[in-house]
Amino acid sequence: MARAYSRAKIVAILAVILVLILADHIQSPTFAFNSGHGNVDTALMQRDDTACAPCGAPCPSTRK
Amino acid sequence: MNQTATAQPGLDSPGWQTDRFIVGAALIGFVLLGGLIWLETAPFLLALFAVGALLGIALYHGAFGFTAGWRNLVVHKRGAGFRAQLLLFGLSSLIMVPLLNSGQPGMVGAIAPVGTSLVVGSFIFGIGMQLGGGCGSGTLFTVGAGNIRMVVTLLFFIVGTVLGSIHLPWWLDQPGFDPVPLVATFGVPGALILQFVGLGLLAWWVNRIERRAHGNVERGELLWKPQEHGVLRTLLSGRWPFTWAILILAVGNALTLAIGGAPWSITFAFNVWGAKALEAIGVNMGQFEFWTWDYPATALRDSVLTNIPSVMNFGLLLGAMLAAGLANRFNAASQNRPEGRQFLAAVIGGLLLGYGARLGFGCNIGALFSGIASASLHAWVWFACAFVGSLIGIRLRPVFRLPN
Repeated sequence: MARAYSRAKIVAILAVILVLILADHIQSPTFAFNSGHGNVDTALMQRDDTACAPCGAPCPSTRK
Repeated sequence: MNQTATAQPGLDSPGWQTDRFIVGAALIGFVLLGGLIWLETAPFLLALFAVGALLGIALYHGAFGFTAGWRNLVVHKRGAGFRAQLLLFGLSSLIMVPLLNSGQPGMVGAIAPVGTSLVVGSFIFGIGMQLGGGCGSGTLFTVGAGNIRMVVTLLFFIVGTVLGSIHLPWWLDQPGFDPVPLVATFGVPGALILQFVGLGLLAWWVNRIERRAHGNVERGELLWKPQEHGVLRTLLSGRWPFTWAILILAVGNALTLAIGGAPWSITFAFNVWGAKALEAIGVNMGQFEFWTWDYPATALRDSVLTNIPSVMNFGLLLGAMLAAGLANRFNAASQNRPEGRQFLAAVIGGLLLGYGARLGFGCNIGALFSGIASASLHAWVWFACAFVGSLIGIRLRPVFRLPN
């Protein structure tokens, strides 16, 4: 079977994803916290126990 | 084909070939991303990254697709795939319902409101499953395994989730009521019995359909011995018997709950990725109510490497890529390029999947699998509505020149 994918494209796609993740991370509160900036609210303990759904939606009964 | 090489001897493997480039790329991905997670976040997220990878391998090697399982039942009247899902739900309930109600602090189940949003969302999702060619987990693991058509589905899945997030507050204001955890009414034993009765009835219904059509019931879901090769080779290169995948998926979801504090979910990450992309081009997502709620707002503000569903999805993608490389099937999947109506089906299916997942509080993993494993009523409503939607999706497939 002929090769259907390009190795260069696979490497490029993985590299782009990694760069996007890095770019997002470098602008984040967690990166700021790791860099020694205090008073930063990170998302490491992020689950909202008061929410009514995994996506954080409130309960219908609380909506006006 | 020069990218493959005969694998190690000693694995009863005459002719076993791996795609060394894909295996190598996946392993380098694991090292780079895992190292970044280790350095920049917390050890528990690295553990969840590894669990995600394990789940990706299990989904790929087990060929554990919810979409195909439902379609096989409807079109071919064969129920092994569907019954494998029922077994998975039963085993997960048995592990996770007591765990969630053991009094351990910091654990929350996959529960969600029951109402218009859930019914409409899961119905739409069901249509999208059949047109898009996969559900939440199916889309992700097939993308990791190199399927180009599913990349299109995933991109529009992400677009759909963002649209859904913008509309969700309106849908939540339509008739509905608060979550109904079955444990609150029936206790842990009662909830488990109730769920097993439900799963048993579904299994009986599936058997009846299969027996009427074929005169017998194929018990593929109960096979545990490898069919073609030895245990070690099958473990590495597939295809796994259903029981292996069921075991790993159930344990993986329980580990996700124990480590991360909540069951496995997939599509919230798509929401975050889409919203981040829009913010990057100047859209202020804070103008939409969904993105002002605590959890979405925090996830949007912080790194994707601190978002549990995102980290697990990255692991799942790489795990599926590794598995496809070990099975030497990445190349074959890459030849599946969508054109014409099939491309359109991937676009429409992806949008329906995304929009439906957001309104339905998750996909087949976050809402159905984790929902039943949390003994939440909404998961059963989701199951019924998505199956009805799927029936319509199956009828629509020929219009888009998709084989049934």
